[in-house]
Amino acid sequence: MEISRRELFQKITTGGAAIAASGGISAALTGVAQAEETPQVPPHALGMLYDATLCIGCKTCVVACTQANGLTPDTRTDPLHQAPADLNNHTKTIIKLYKEADGQTSFVKQQCMHCVDPACAAACMFGGLKKDKNTGVVTWNGKYCVGCRYCEVACPYNVPKFRWEGFNPEIVKCEFCKDRLAKGQEPACTTVCPRKAVIFGLREDLLKEAKRRIAANPGKYHEDRVFGEHEGGGTQVLYLSHVPFDKIGLPQPGNESIPQKYLKWQKRLYSYLVLPAGLYAVLAGTIRKNWKDHEEHLEEEEKASGLRAQL
Amino acid sequence: MKDTWQRDVPVFNVPIWTRPFKFFCGLAGLGMILVVYREIAGLGPASGMTDAYAWGIWKTFNTMVLTGLGSGAFAIGIAAWIFNKKNLHVVMRTAVLTSFLAYAFGLCMLAIDVGRPWNFYWFFVPWHWNYHSPLLEVAVCMTVYASIPLFLENIPPILDFVYDRWPDQRPLVKKLDKVIVAGFPYVVSLAYVLPAMHQSSLGALMLLGGNRVYPLWQTPFLPLLYVWAAAFLGFAFVTTTLLFSSMMWNRALDIDVMAELNRLTMWLVGLWLVFRAIDLTLRGSILAAFRFNIFAALFWIEIAILIYGWSKLREAGNTRSPRTMFYAALLVLVGGMLYRFNPTTTAFQPKAGAFYFPSAIELLVSIGFMSLGIAIFLYAAKVLPILPGSNELARKMEAQQATQPGISGFAAAPRAGQFATGD
Repeated sequence: MEISRRELFQKITTGGAAIAASGGISAALTGVAQAEETPQVPPHALGMLYDATLCIGCKTCVVACTQANGLTPDTRTDPLHQAPADLNNHTKTIIKLYKEADGQTSFVKQQCMHCVDPACAAACMFGGLKKDKNTGVVTWNGKYCVGCRYCEVACPYNVPKFRWEGFNPEIVKCEFCKDRLAKGQEPACTTVCPRKAVIFGLREDLLKEAKRRIAANPGKYHEDRVFGEHEGGGTQVLYLSHVPFDKIGLPQPGNESIPQKYLKWQKRLYSYLVLPAGLYAVLAGTIRKNWKDHEEHLEEEEKASGLRAQL
Repeated sequence: MKDTWQRDVPVFNVPIWTRPFKFFCGLAGLGMILVVYREIAGLGPASGMTDAYAWGIWKTFNTMVLTGLGSGAFAIGIAAWIFNKKNLHVVMRTAVLTSFLAYAFGLCMLAIDVGRPWNFYWFFVPWHWNYHSPLLEVAVCMTVYASIPLFLENIPPILDFVYDRWPDQRPLVKKLDKVIVAGFPYVVSLAYVLPAMHQSSLGALMLLGGNRVYPLWQTPFLPLLYVWAAAFLGFAFVTTTLLFSSMMWNRALDIDVMAELNRLTMWLVGLWLVFRAIDLTLRGSILAAFRFNIFAALFWIEIAILIYGWSKLREAGNTRSPRTMFYAALLVLVGGMLYRFNPTTTAFQPKAGAFYFPSAIELLVSIGFMSLGIAIFLYAAKVLPILPGSNELARKMEAQQATQPGISGFAAAPRAGQFATGD
């Protein structure tokens, strides 16, 4: 299935305008109410579909990614070649090989999953990492990042990476080539893939395409399942694989997103600061009452001992 | 040495520039120099942190564990003011000073640990906050707590010092006393709400670690267990500080007050253990404790230390022996600190094969800030009325001041053969 690129960008831009027009006030009002609801897939969620059965491990995507994002090739392990050992501050995407003793192999492309409800953005203090309300792309903005690296602790896929050298560090992760998107171009990796093992489009279209492939090839894919449809609350980068997903480094986090599963009670306890304010009122009342006792005691002490009373 | 603690009295008749004090100042100095190196070279060369273990001991130990030790002002304060344990008021100054130091340097470490600290100005722009980020909650609450209520709680000893030292300033001190008295209940209740919030949020930090935190530690009740652990750690830390200071400076102990601290610590630790056992059992995570791996071992070490500490607390409650109290409190400190540290590092598995051990620089900076805290405490205890004593001791100090002005306070000059006894 081919998705017309023109159609795609039209959808993105009109969607963006509509959201901007709907105004900040209504967004703020519904924002609070939505906090309790299941996070929804953004209206024009962009996505990628990676099919491990198609990938030949040529790493053209890795090179294209480095070029498109203006990164220095990582030659730290091999001075002659761009040979990163893992995602790092020079590498926003990587191809890894999984090999089992029985000879079963699979390549896997690692990059940001652009979660529907990203743990990194939930962790981020001032919104340095933010999910676009329309396209759902999770991007990093150095203006708001304090470099606390909570995103690295929170991300279940170990995606955000930190530049550890120098006094002006950055968080490096796949942002779906945000500069290229702005120019109406596809991300670099999907443009160059010779086998179309990774394709770009709207998440809903890609999901349909993935299901079509599963239906057309019964038994070919692991559990006849698209990883990312529901996993961890859903991701915008979807995976098809012939080997179990956990073997190619995709964890099994359950179908609830991490913020939803683990921050539910935090959000409830702190909603509108009602509970802390109530606690404060009760405590202040009690202490005021006990304070009078204490003051009388201090005065008596001062008279009896002739020494200055201590607060 | 049975005595009654009636008021706080400086440690007088003791020189300030002692060998341990110089030692801690030296370590602190070394730490500060290495901080300059870290700021220039960046976090990579200075620390053992990696992308997998993105948080090192600066955050996980100095901030997340040591502020637990600095929860004495919070925990003992609640016992004294809310539950009206009147005899605990006398140890509050020890608690608020140690807490202030733990928090101040915990926050310093947080600022040194972040990579782009200049962006902290968003701190002053609340509409840019991500209200649901536990780390934001921690950063905001801790800063406000340390700089307003906890700071103000430390003002009275300084006013006492001014009152004693500059008699012509006494009217001013009395005026300030009145201001403090008027605002006290409102400020102090803030000093209990804020720590309850951020000490629990410190536990919430690791909630977002999801199932990468080993199930023996990962629980929705992590925030509650964290703030609860902070409460008994605060008690235990003040207990050890008081016992150690009394021994070091040869000051009398009020065994009734110590027994009260001991008793409350015992209840806090005991109930915490019961609660944790129930939580682990109901969620079925307890099964993970019987797997043969390093995490199960860590869990049993942690639990064994706390159970042994609890039994020692019980024993100390019966025998009222300061020595047993000291060991009991130390055990509780070690067990509680392990509990607060494990989910952040040793029981946190970001991915297979990842490993973290702090670098020498990381360790020295961490030790440097702890040493700075200890040095300031040693100094403050000799200058300000921080440690509890009797009215008699205070009179003794006044009498000495009358004949030898400047015997307490920073002008105290060591005179040969004069600083053997403090009591």
